[in-house]
Amino acid sequence: MSSATPAVHADAAAPARADSVGRRLLRRPAAAVSAAVILILIVVTVGASLFAPYSPTAANYDLLFAPPSWAHLFGTDELGRDLLTRVLYGGRTSLLVAFAATTFAMVAGVAWGFTAALREGWIGEILMRVADMLMAMPVVLLGLVLVAAFGASTLSMIIILGVLFTPATARIARSTLLVELRSEYYLAAVSVGASGLRIVARELLPNTLPVLTARGTLVLAEVIFVEASLSFVGLGVQPPDTSWGTLLQQGYSNLYRSYSYPIFPGLVILLAVLVLNTLGDNLQKVMDPSRS
Amino acid sequence: MLEVRDLVVEITVHRRAPIRPVRGVSFEVRSGQRLGIVGESGSGKSLTALSLMGLLPPRARIASGEVYLRGRELTGLSERELAHVRGGQISTVYQDPMSSLNPLQTVGHQVIEAICAHEDVGRREARDRAIALLRDVGLPEPERRVDDHPHEFSGGMRQRVMIAMAICANPDVLIADEPTTALDVTTQARIMEMLERLVDERRLGVILITHDLGLAAAFCDDIHVMYGGRIVESGRAASVLREPVHPYSEALIESICGLDRDVDRPIAAISGHPPLPNELPSGCPFHPRCGYAHDLCAREAPRPLEVRGHLAECHFPVGGARS
Amino acid sequence: MLRYIARRLVTSVALVFLGSVLVFLLMRVIPGDPTITKLGGTIKDVNPEALAAIRHQLGLDKSIPEQYVSWIADMAHGDLGNSYFSQFSVTTLAGQRLGATLELALMAMVIGLLIAVPASVAGAIWPNRVLNAVLSGFAAIGIAIPTFVIGILLIIGIGVELEWLPTQGYVSFQRDPFGSLQSTLLPAITLGIGVAASTMRILRPSLVDVESASFVRTAKGKGLLRRQVVMRHELPNASIPAITAAGIIVAHLVGGAVIVEYVFARPGLGTLLVDSVFQRDYGVLQALVLLAVIVFIVTSLVVDIALGFLDPRLRTKAVR
Repeated sequence: MSSATPAVHADAAAPARADSVGRRLLRRPAAAVSAAVILILIVVTVGASLFAPYSPTAANYDLLFAPPSWAHLFGTDELGRDLLTRVLYGGRTSLLVAFAATTFAMVAGVAWGFTAALREGWIGEILMRVADMLMAMPVVLLGLVLVAAFGASTLSMIIILGVLFTPATARIARSTLLVELRSEYYLAAVSVGASGLRIVARELLPNTLPVLTARGTLVLAEVIFVEASLSFVGLGVQPPDTSWGTLLQQGYSNLYRSYSYPIFPGLVILLAVLVLNTLGDNLQKVMDPSRS
Repeated sequence: MLEVRDLVVEITVHRRAPIRPVRGVSFEVRSGQRLGIVGESGSGKSLTALSLMGLLPPRARIASGEVYLRGRELTGLSERELAHVRGGQISTVYQDPMSSLNPLQTVGHQVIEAICAHEDVGRREARDRAIALLRDVGLPEPERRVDDHPHEFSGGMRQRVMIAMAICANPDVLIADEPTTALDVTTQARIMEMLERLVDERRLGVILITHDLGLAAAFCDDIHVMYGGRIVESGRAASVLREPVHPYSEALIESICGLDRDVDRPIAAISGHPPLPNELPSGCPFHPRCGYAHDLCAREAPRPLEVRGHLAECHFPVGGARS
Repeated sequence: MLRYIARRLVTSVALVFLGSVLVFLLMRVIPGDPTITKLGGTIKDVNPEALAAIRHQLGLDKSIPEQYVSWIADMAHGDLGNSYFSQFSVTTLAGQRLGATLELALMAMVIGLLIAVPASVAGAIWPNRVLNAVLSGFAAIGIAIPTFVIGILLIIGIGVELEWLPTQGYVSFQRDPFGSLQSTLLPAITLGIGVAASTMRILRPSLVDVESASFVRTAKGKGLLRRQVVMRHELPNASIPAITAAGIIVAHLVGGAVIVEYVFARPGLGTLLVDSVFQRDYGVLQALVLLAVIVFIVTSLVVDIALGFLDPRLRTKAVR
């Protein structure tokens, strides 16, 4: 058996990964269902004005705390507003915050992690030790501290959550990059004299994307979780903005008058987090078959 | 003492037809006899060994055939009954000493566990027996080393510990599945020496499974050569080595590089590769790689023939006609 | 072994100091002056003398390094500082609340492990497809469902509808042990489900991995029964990744405790923390956060030591 130059073969191997990952992913039933559900969630919440049966402010004083019915699938709240509508609009905020925060965390984390990977030696070590320490603390706790410092609002949620999850992304960004730095095609590129960190980054970055996307999905799930938790205790999104967490809080304070009020937002949160977790897990398994 | 008749092992494959890596294997082992099963990877030899112990992996099972140990049939036994047999009557030493011992327990503890699984002995006595066993297998300073953990031993020493565990309950049959493949040649020699001594002392029946013909010839009384899930040649070890009857055995022997070989002569490797259980050729499994193949070989599977004192499955045995 | 423990101790102490510096700096970096909030007004109508007096009382007129040193010194003597708003010291406040939180955390851990370990072992011993699907489903939902949702469901289901257990408040253990357990049970189950789910997610795959390990084959080959193989060989080895992850699980536990205390109106450290955030009571906040940091570092230390006992390979210096 003859062996061709590794560089030639490896180059062909490197870029093919991204789309085959997608295809392999969709073949798994759990992943396909999860992807579908999350897409539906995104569509109905972003297009809440299209999909919601009522206006979010339409109060109906005759029908306070109504249980679920055909007219009001999720029931109504303390002002007679349709809960399904409020959940959809609330979802818009929750998902907006989640996506924005996750993007922040990914970008910042990649910058941090890549720097740590490229500057090996004690700078990289320190950067990672700090990240480890931050990761070891519960996110809710740190979140509370930051909220104490910077106040609670939708915007501050985005920034705070982004900052909170940056260490975790940094870690994974660094370890993925380290793997790529040791791969054949990178060594080949360097030995051929590929110039500048930027050109190499254009080669390396696409190959780290699948792993980062998988982690990003899991981070997204946790961000939704933490935002809901903080909003629930009143230290997250502030009224009049609504998110799933604030809806839950209002439902909780009215617990004795309506069971459906807290349950439905809770179920929606559960669904979103569960589905994103499943998607993220499957992404990871698809990329590393030894883990499944 | 151990009798295997027409053993067939089947593995279920997701959404496809099941495959049969072992297709009707028969042999026997007498007390004190040293039997060798020789073959390349994929020939089915390890699965045969596992099936004797009842340790087949989840997707595999014994589809047909029987295994008799001292007249008792093993194939239908319950898990509980099988647990009794393992270690107590039939034991295996495996190939990978590095990972075959529980890293969290001391070596002594593991040997004692093996002893206590089959006999009701006090801790004190079990410990003494363990130390004596470790000494017997050639472990230096056993009184001190008995409380060490596996990662503190070299590969050769771990393998000795494995052998100690395997024989501690005085089984009738010991299966050695590539016991020295992971070890360097000097250690290999020493371990085989030690094994020889133990086997003679305790009148064990041994099945040595290996891909190393030379090793088998040196250690074993009789050899079975396996290919494609069947035994293609059986005979006395020295005889099979000197005058192989089956073309595969011959090719195997030819491919051994002796030190006294002519340096300019090319290595006689067998062309092609061993067949996967789901890609078995029709007729004789060896025919695509056989230098003597005829049309008949592709059509019809050969039945066992007696040729010059060996049993071989070949239409056209080496060195001419049937005896 | 001793050297291993010593090394970990030194690192831990260093981390505690590092953590304290970070916490301290974070508090000082916060925008807004707590003294002004305390005086209840805006910058304009504050009497400068009163301001100076408050600052002196709170020790804010010293330089930053001095403040840090005096803070640390106080901490070392057990003085956790004073609340900026109430007249109590943090020690008093925290002391009142500690029992509730501790009881909750311990009970939740116990419940969580009591669910997770037998469930995982059962899944390993009986490779029944349905059973394993149920267990995996439980684990997946258990970590996805927010603690307060479980809490609310339990309150509705068991507290209100069935009226089996109280849904709020707290009874001190010293005064009434049985009543105390009753009031803690519901919150502890709420938290415990999360703990169980996280543990199962690690323990179950670990048990599967261990199943195919060579030494398991050896153990079976010795003639051990299935349950002996699982308990003596598989479980100890499979526990290692789970114990390593114990730090993360404790982290979730603490974060979850804050929420659960809120949901069940339990006067614990969690509610104290949330209240101090609402009031911007930095005195309490910085002490509690530092305490939390110390708890994690100590947990991590304990986990490492436990692992050292369990896995002899860790005690030897890596000579690979």
